[in-house]
Amino acid sequence: MRKITALFAMLALTAAPAFAQDAGWETQGLTDDSITIGVMGPFSGNASSYSKAMVGMMAYYRQVNDEGGVHGRKLVAVQEDTACDSAKGLAAAKKLISQDEVFMLQGNSCSGVAVALRPVVEESGIPWIVAQAVSDSISAPLAKNIFHGVPTGSANGRAMASFVLSKPDTKNVAIIEHSNDWAHSYSDPAKEYLKEQGITPSLELTMERGQTDATAQVLQLREAKPNFIIAALYEAETAIFLKDLKKYGLGDIPVMGTAGTDLENTLKRTGDFDTVKNYFVIHSYVDNLDGPKMKKWADMIKKYYPDEELSTFSFVSIGSAEALVSALEKIGPDLTRSKLIAALEQVRDFDTGILSDPITWTPQDHQGVKGSAIAGFVDEKPAVLKAWGQPY
Amino acid sequence: MFMQLTLSGLAQGAIYGLIALSLTVVYRSTTVVNFGHGDFVMAGAFLSYVLVVLGGLAFLPAGALTVVAMFVLGVLFNRGLIRPILGGPHIGLALMCIAGGYVLRGIARMVWGREVLPMPPVFDMPPIFFGSLVITGDAIVIISTVLVLLLCFFGLLALTDLGKMVQAVYQSPRGARLIGLNVDRFNDVSWGVGAALGALGGILVAPVTLLHPDLGASFLIKGFAAMTLGGFGSLGGAVLGGVLLGIGEQYAGAYLDSSLIEITAYVIIVLVLFVRPQGLLGRKAVVKV
Repeated sequence: MRKITALFAMLALTAAPAFAQDAGWETQGLTDDSITIGVMGPFSGNASSYSKAMVGMMAYYRQVNDEGGVHGRKLVAVQEDTACDSAKGLAAAKKLISQDEVFMLQGNSCSGVAVALRPVVEESGIPWIVAQAVSDSISAPLAKNIFHGVPTGSANGRAMASFVLSKPDTKNVAIIEHSNDWAHSYSDPAKEYLKEQGITPSLELTMERGQTDATAQVLQLREAKPNFIIAALYEAETAIFLKDLKKYGLGDIPVMGTAGTDLENTLKRTGDFDTVKNYFVIHSYVDNLDGPKMKKWADMIKKYYPDEELSTFSFVSIGSAEALVSALEKIGPDLTRSKLIAALEQVRDFDTGILSDPITWTPQDHQGVKGSAIAGFVDEKPAVLKAWGQPY
Repeated sequence: MFMQLTLSGLAQGAIYGLIALSLTVVYRSTTVVNFGHGDFVMAGAFLSYVLVVLGGLAFLPAGALTVVAMFVLGVLFNRGLIRPILGGPHIGLALMCIAGGYVLRGIARMVWGREVLPMPPVFDMPPIFFGSLVITGDAIVIISTVLVLLLCFFGLLALTDLGKMVQAVYQSPRGARLIGLNVDRFNDVSWGVGAALGALGGILVAPVTLLHPDLGASFLIKGFAAMTLGGFGSLGGAVLGGVLLGIGEQYAGAYLDSSLIEITAYVIIVLVLFVRPQGLLGRKAVVKV
């Protein structure tokens, strides 16, 4: 009996540090006056323009801090560069989690990097709000600690198809896309939506990256005579495709593009308004980038980062940062990682005032943004649309 | 649709043919396959862009200046980097070409990052309609420019003393040396002409596509495929191969599957090497043992 008691005593002594570590883990990265947040993004390399999203998000942290923080705690960003490279991203995540011991993670551009990080972050259990990358597989299947704070590829794909069908009498839809995962992440859900509405694309075409001519594809489109074309193409190929459409007299067919392009740059690349006048793109915001509803956000970024040049990426992560701050405020001063995860799962229809669709996270679904607005030219000026002919 | 595809294929094929010809000019004189040639094409496109957009020149003088500048670059490339190692193993020459190409690409990346740049429209003439056939300005300019150039090039080779000297060096550099021809200078000029012709391909393609530092990679593969199809080392074969490749891509994309456009060049390389390794106009290699 004495031996058994001694054995239990030894076990208790051995386990004590582990329990102590668990208690410490819950508040790791927290002090009385700070919450450290690991912010990963491509701050260098050829995708560094995406890191503008992190800059916008950190500007919001600084604004919150200037207004007194959250329950007296300042949001302290610990930046790590992924260079949009999976290996570097993994190293950055491990450093933030194990060495810097941040309280949580928020950020990440580049879906490939974010997908590669998922197992490491999921195993660590620390809260992670994905604030730019769109791939569905980052947050699905559900991971308890991973939340998606921007529209995912499937949300965007469905929004694209929904807009296409909102044009009266649209029955004949064609799709042109790259043959990579990025393009499929838009086109597959778009096809699924079309199928639900009883429409099968009349033509599915491929245009590979680097192609300098789209004649063969355009001539097939000329035969198929679609009412609308869905184009999941990168920026350069989009411009070439639109130029060839116009060249062969199909410039009046509307084309629905992805969030990987925008109206202003596509116009710049084609150099001709007539070529882009019927081009529409996914637009995740409530207003044009230079519109009145976006002005306060643009001013905020300029206040804290005066040299920052604003682009469409600059604003995309601010919405999820607002949702985070709202959840932190609701928790109160007694903050833990588990409480944050629970509070995030209570976020419902959170209107960010910047994203076109609200954020809702539930215990069953962490993909928080289910739709996107569309941008297109109306009276030769970019406009945000809810549906065909309907301003947002 | 058939006629439209053929016309578009001819325009694309003319560019491929030009690039294959420029590769062949260098290959015939020095037996070096310039694996960095795609970047010479890219450099030509970017240089013309700089002269037009930043320098404010009209497209024609900008194109002419670019061709001259690229000719000089080709000569310097041969003198400075290729000639000193010409007697060495072929792998060294290939690596030198790749390195040279990457330096050009690196310079473009340093200046423009991975930005995608549009050349202002220069072939902006209204298309001509024959029923459903659309003849576009760019197709007319590309095909006619390449046609005139090829007539001059092959006319020079066939009808002049210079052409006879070129044939002599091609057939036997040593024999050409013995009769007093300056083969080293000939090689310099060949590299210059190769670079200039490649650059011309870039200049012609620039207004119909968008410019980026990696632009040359796909054109290099198309050039190789055209060379292989036409017959490795055959000047006329390179042009014929390019035109057939351009048309073949269009037919494959429209009549079979649009995803085949990008792999047509690779399929042609594989098929030709299996079925007719000497290509359409090449000579069968005879190895004496």
